[in-house]
Amino acid sequence: MDNIKFESPTFIKRLKGMLGVDFYRLFHTPLFYIFLGIAGIIPALVSMGFSTTDPVTNQITGSTLENIWIMVASNEPLYVVSDIAEYANMNMVFIFGGIMVSIFIGHDYKSGYVKQLFTTHAKKQDYMMSKSLSCAFAMACMCVTYLIGTIVAGIFLQTSFEVNVGSLLISILSKMVMSLGWSSLYTFLNVIFRRYFGVSIASSFFFGTGILIIGVAAIVGNSPILNVFLYGSSVYACLSSNILTLLVCLGVSCSWTIIYIVVGTFILNRSDVY
Amino acid sequence: MNAIEIRNLSKVFGQKTAIDSLNMTVPVGSIYGFIGENGSGKSTTEKMICGLLIPSGGTIKIYGKDYKDIDVRAKMSCLIESPGCFSSYSVWNNLMLQATNLSIPNPEEAVREVLKLVRMEGAASNKYKNCSLGMKQRIGIAMALLGNPELLVLDEPINGLDVDGMRIVREVLLDLSKKGITIIISSHILGELEKIATHYGIIRNGSMIKEMTSEEFEKECRTFVALKTKDLDKSRYVLSNKYSRVEKDEQDYLRIYDLVTPEEVVTYLYSQGIVINEIKVDKIGLEEYYIDLMKEKEY
Repeated sequence: MDNIKFESPTFIKRLKGMLGVDFYRLFHTPLFYIFLGIAGIIPALVSMGFSTTDPVTNQITGSTLENIWIMVASNEPLYVVSDIAEYANMNMVFIFGGIMVSIFIGHDYKSGYVKQLFTTHAKKQDYMMSKSLSCAFAMACMCVTYLIGTIVAGIFLQTSFEVNVGSLLISILSKMVMSLGWSSLYTFLNVIFRRYFGVSIASSFFFGTGILIIGVAAIVGNSPILNVFLYGSSVYACLSSNILTLLVCLGVSCSWTIIYIVVGTFILNRSDVY
Repeated sequence: MNAIEIRNLSKVFGQKTAIDSLNMTVPVGSIYGFIGENGSGKSTTEKMICGLLIPSGGTIKIYGKDYKDIDVRAKMSCLIESPGCFSSYSVWNNLMLQATNLSIPNPEEAVREVLKLVRMEGAASNKYKNCSLGMKQRIGIAMALLGNPELLVLDEPINGLDVDGMRIVREVLLDLSKKGITIIISSHILGELEKIATHYGIIRNGSMIKEMTSEEFEKECRTFVALKTKDLDKSRYVLSNKYSRVEKDEQDYLRIYDLVTPEEVVTYLYSQGIVINEIKVDKIGLEEYYIDLMKEKEY
């Protein structure tokens, strides 16, 4: 006993170690690359729905989309959606991202890896943070492949690329910032439903669609108050974005991340892990 | 000084009480054999020690500190049921991941060292899913050894292992014990446990019914006279007329559990016209002791 020296591993050391594992796993799992591919294909598939074809040759002649960047974000924040064109944009990355996070975290439990984590010096808070950060990175990467897919689809459909570049970049950057909030939500959901993999995926999908906020928006209309929610801010990051949009997204994303990490840690600390 | 001190520990799952006022003391440097039947609460207790389950009541102190303290947790390691490895990764990568997680400086060196300890240097590149059960258990022990823990909690690490696998694990554990590492090991294979344990804890229905050192166990073990004759059935009949408990064991020895010397038995059987081929005095093993204790507690 006298010979044992107790040294508390610092927070940075613990988090660095856990992030190292999560990023290694991320880059060495086909799941990550499959979802990157899915994110790249989504804009192509959706935009094909808006393509026009020559009735004689049956070849694609163009698109009813006035501008391909609609596939990234709407021109104005549209919380109330009336058709798929208003809904189908980069925010869909967050839906598929939710499924990816569920599978990624679900594998921790399936493989028993959580035992290796929680029987050592790792804190539950470190786990929440590490998963949120690594999955946010994965979703941000999905945003990039989505963007590439959009550009390719635009070239293929010969649609207009005219846009305010500054607003577009801020919009994309804002959505990438929102990845953190979304990934912490999905991490939180997976912590709650950790024993039920199917429920984890279903709940991630449900919240990822933003259907709750869309429902609220149908009652309150296109109100900026909806920006306090993850889906609201994600919609707020539109093609008329400015620096304020980025700041709002940053604030909302970070706030929800903190909330989810704190509540998730609280739940993990008070419940059986494995 | 004790590595682990558990007082009045309880764990309730819904309506079921899995652990009921359990007390346990594991001295520093000991190999603590944790024994109990299926569902007696061994794994639940170990999971609570490891922080995987939250106790419903009681206290767990590790090296005098609360079991949740991260500085204490940094000094302990566990293998609960099976190792938490990624099946598609190699043995090396799985160990490297754990080394990364533990922020071990020179992780490659640390991984090489633990692989050597568990005699698995040659299997580092094997995919985890292709490893045999014995190899997986050794990988689990290797993983638990990363970070130089002072306390190891091993849940059924020798289950399913062949004779050679058990021997290797036994040797590894004895090596670790010589280094001063405290080990808690639960197992159903009591004969194997008997070879290494310095302390025992016997749990039943979630409560500790007996704790003792291996010396105390030796003293408590009953001696018996074992013998072989040409006609075992006749000998048994004859002996049963004089002694209260005569049993035939798996090796075809007749065992007399009464307080008697071999000379007395030889004289008695000779008077009955029975010639003894072999006779010896022996002690019951841990398995028999355990069975006796369980029977005793049933009444």
